[in-house]
Amino acid sequence: MLPDFRTSLPYVALALVIGAVAWAVSFGTLPPADFTFINGTEIESVDPAVVTGSPEGRIIDELFEGLFHNLPAEMSPDFDASREDPQELKPQPAVAKSCQISEDGKTYTFQIRRSARWSNGTPVTAHDFVWSWQRFLHPEVAAQYAYLLGDYVRGASAYNKGTVHTGDRVDVELKTRKWPHQPYPQGTLVTGILREIIKGEPPSVEASDPTAQDQLANWKDEWVYLVEADSSESRGVAGTENPNRLEAYCKSATSTPSFGGETIACHHVLPDFDETVGIRATDDHTLEVTLNHATPYFLQLCAFYPLYPVNQTCVETFGYPAWTKAENIVNNGPFRMEFRRIRDRIRLVKNPQYWNADTVKIQSIDALAVTSETTVLNMYLHGQTDWATTVPAAMIPDLSKRDDWLSDVFLGIYFYRLNVKHPVLSDVRVRQALNLAVNRQELCDNVTRAGERPAWTFCPSGIPGYTAPAGLEYNVSRAKQLLAEAGYPDGRGFPQLELLYNTSESHKTIAEVIQQQWSRNLGIKVTPKNREWGVFLNDVDNLNYHISRLGWIGDYVDPNTFLDLFVTDGANNSTGWSNPEYDRLLEQSRAEPDPGKRFEILRQAEEILLSELPIIPIYFYVSKNLVKPHVRGIHSNLRDIHPLHIIDVDPLAKKAGR
Amino acid sequence: MISFLIKRSLWMLFTLWIVFTVSFFLMRAVPGGPFAGERKVSPEVERNLRARYDLDAPLHQQYLKNLLRTASGDLGPSFKLADFTVNEILGQGFPVSASLGILALVFACTLGVAAGVASAIYRNSWIDVGMMLAATIGVAVPNFVLASLAVLLFVFIWPLFPAGGWGELQHLILPSICLGAPFAAYIARLTRTGMLDVLGHDYVRTARAKGLSPYQVITRHALPIALMPVVSYLGPATAGILTGSLVLERIFAIPGMGSHFIDAATQRDYTLAMGAVLLYTLLLYVMNTLVDVAYWVIDPRVKLG
Repeated sequence: MLPDFRTSLPYVALALVIGAVAWAVSFGTLPPADFTFINGTEIESVDPAVVTGSPEGRIIDELFEGLFHNLPAEMSPDFDASREDPQELKPQPAVAKSCQISEDGKTYTFQIRRSARWSNGTPVTAHDFVWSWQRFLHPEVAAQYAYLLGDYVRGASAYNKGTVHTGDRVDVELKTRKWPHQPYPQGTLVTGILREIIKGEPPSVEASDPTAQDQLANWKDEWVYLVEADSSESRGVAGTENPNRLEAYCKSATSTPSFGGETIACHHVLPDFDETVGIRATDDHTLEVTLNHATPYFLQLCAFYPLYPVNQTCVETFGYPAWTKAENIVNNGPFRMEFRRIRDRIRLVKNPQYWNADTVKIQSIDALAVTSETTVLNMYLHGQTDWATTVPAAMIPDLSKRDDWLSDVFLGIYFYRLNVKHPVLSDVRVRQALNLAVNRQELCDNVTRAGERPAWTFCPSGIPGYTAPAGLEYNVSRAKQLLAEAGYPDGRGFPQLELLYNTSESHKTIAEVIQQQWSRNLGIKVTPKNREWGVFLNDVDNLNYHISRLGWIGDYVDPNTFLDLFVTDGANNSTGWSNPEYDRLLEQSRAEPDPGKRFEILRQAEEILLSELPIIPIYFYVSKNLVKPHVRGIHSNLRDIHPLHIIDVDPLAKKAGR
Repeated sequence: MISFLIKRSLWMLFTLWIVFTVSFFLMRAVPGGPFAGERKVSPEVERNLRARYDLDAPLHQQYLKNLLRTASGDLGPSFKLADFTVNEILGQGFPVSASLGILALVFACTLGVAAGVASAIYRNSWIDVGMMLAATIGVAVPNFVLASLAVLLFVFIWPLFPAGGWGELQHLILPSICLGAPFAAYIARLTRTGMLDVLGHDYVRTARAKGLSPYQVITRHALPIALMPVVSYLGPATAGILTGSLVLERIFAIPGMGSHFIDAATQRDYTLAMGAVLLYTLLLYVMNTLVDVAYWVIDPRVKLG
């Protein structure tokens, strides 16, 4: 038997090889989409609440739609050609048919369009927004963008952080979930008044102990919350046979020792959402939002993807992440997801249920995930894509001569952070000297070369109505003088600093040029130091750096999106810098109802930032788009966001152009 | 043979366990976690995220939990491609890389063996010199340089193939040729050397003497023995094709395992990186075992065990 087995094996192997090759070369057919674009890296998720990137935004903008939609100003009924740029984005009614803003600017009443539908045909209601925004703010969803509601809507921040005090109305979520780690509220809720928190002894931890934060958090989990539950049965509350009795709830299995009795296990004790958070559906078609302060850009936020609604039934039926699958997802935007192949493409098809579907001209879109910029350019030049969202920097001088090159400044800045806790960099004169000795023009002309503008201020230009302060300058003699005053004449005695950047060819070149400029102009030595992205973030987080790079893209068209970074202990401050006057001005700007005065206050804040200089602004980003001439409706704008449901593709020109 | 395969399987499980353990602790020793981002989340929020992905337990508990879950065939949710589990991602990525690898390997073997046999038979002729020159160049030029040249030639100058992407047969051809070319070159050299060695042996002369046709002499008697070095090279070649495809998948925008692996490592996607490492280990182990079996098939003197 064995010899037969042996002699037959080569034939078996041959058959296997033939079979394998046949399998390898078999492909289904895929009809091309009407419009194809390159979306950069693979998106993290299509869940609007949990993502932050622009590739994600490009997909979610087509799948979902918010109360308002950022569309070119010329499409707006109240477009004023004398004041507005026709192509700049302006929030325009979308799911909301209209919006009334109260006299004091703090209450927004949205009328939900009756024709707005989910892709399964059910109407989009005000309750959908309440639920979606509650989910967005829920601590377990861990939305990085939660501050977009938290900073502005009454009570939203406390809900997001789970801050409760004695006497507050609270929601207690019992441990009755179908899936314990689902990132949205779903268990049984008990609502009542928090009467007492029994905290026990706080653990004695050293601040330097790396586990200090964990120990504190564990201690907090053992707190016992005494809640007087409402007697009302109407909210479907469990455990309320005894109306005025106090119930003891605890998140952890072991409650604090100082509380002797039995506790009821719960996931969270959060502020009562319906009562304390300023988001309310007064009926199916009216949504009322109450803000802390008049926020002139709140409609812009409503048109930004983190605030888009998701379908409660869909999310609750399938759970996360199954609800995001093409076959399950229920969405309300101009397109539906037909299929999604990881790191290949997402195919979007027109959504017939979209309330404004008649105006959507293209039937299908392919969003390709391509990371190599050279490949992006090759595919664009070869006619495989209609829109390239990024190109290799080295090719820009040639590409910028083309007619299909679409590039303009947008709301983003490339800058360096200075660690002001460092003994040398704590001297403001040193920080000024470093700033004055950077020749940004040289960098823009010879290194970045895409038409970037040198950054002499922190907020990019182009924000309507905002005039930036005078700004910095390139002044070597003044820089030398300041450095001498700080005790380092001609750079003598200046310690060797490190310039930290995340691994990337372009960051490296910029760091090297600035290193040379400092060495040439000030006689100081700085060593560029590259770290892989994860390590880089960790170092910056722990202030374990001297100078580090960062790019910041504005979330909305207002100076606040930039200046807000540097408030004391701001989550993204990471410089150790703190200035009470600066904090006060930003706080004051929030309370200021008059737009002109508000900008003036913000201007003063930026002035402080530019005299204290915990940063070195370097250049303002420009968008880098290549768009085929047969595509109509893509124009440059400050946000570099391009709604695709308003574009049109000329099929004849497309055929001819290939 | 059966006992050999059982023994190998046991060793494989042991190897996978070692690889799992080393990768697990190495990944967690590198600074920077999966939730670091340019927009930072508050400590409370990060705590919730860690709880969702079981990162809040002590390391040894995480290790045990992960090990048990992995052993049951569930590689867990991906940290960075949050809409998918690692099983789904590898399930989509692996067939893509496999298509690419199979075609590249078949191309490398066919071209390599044919060229090697031809050069050996027509020794010192212009065919031999030309092919061996091409092979030397093929071995020396790395596949990403070859890929750039191929794109320039066959995408822009002579537009036969698309520049990148995935979904049709034409997307597969250029990358698999670029991936297979260096291996074809090496296989050609191995085959030529092997053939020259075998053709000088007595039994080949005997075969000729008993009147077999040159074709029969080569295919029946000379080639199987001459291919021994090629067969043993197939193990490392598979490894090379797997790792080589990391670069080519980037250049040709192919959604295979390589792209997942690189991104997982740089983005601290612990679960996806672990899944990819284990899958690569498994593949290499299986390929090496197949090579050993092939030895035994070709050469009756070889004993498995």
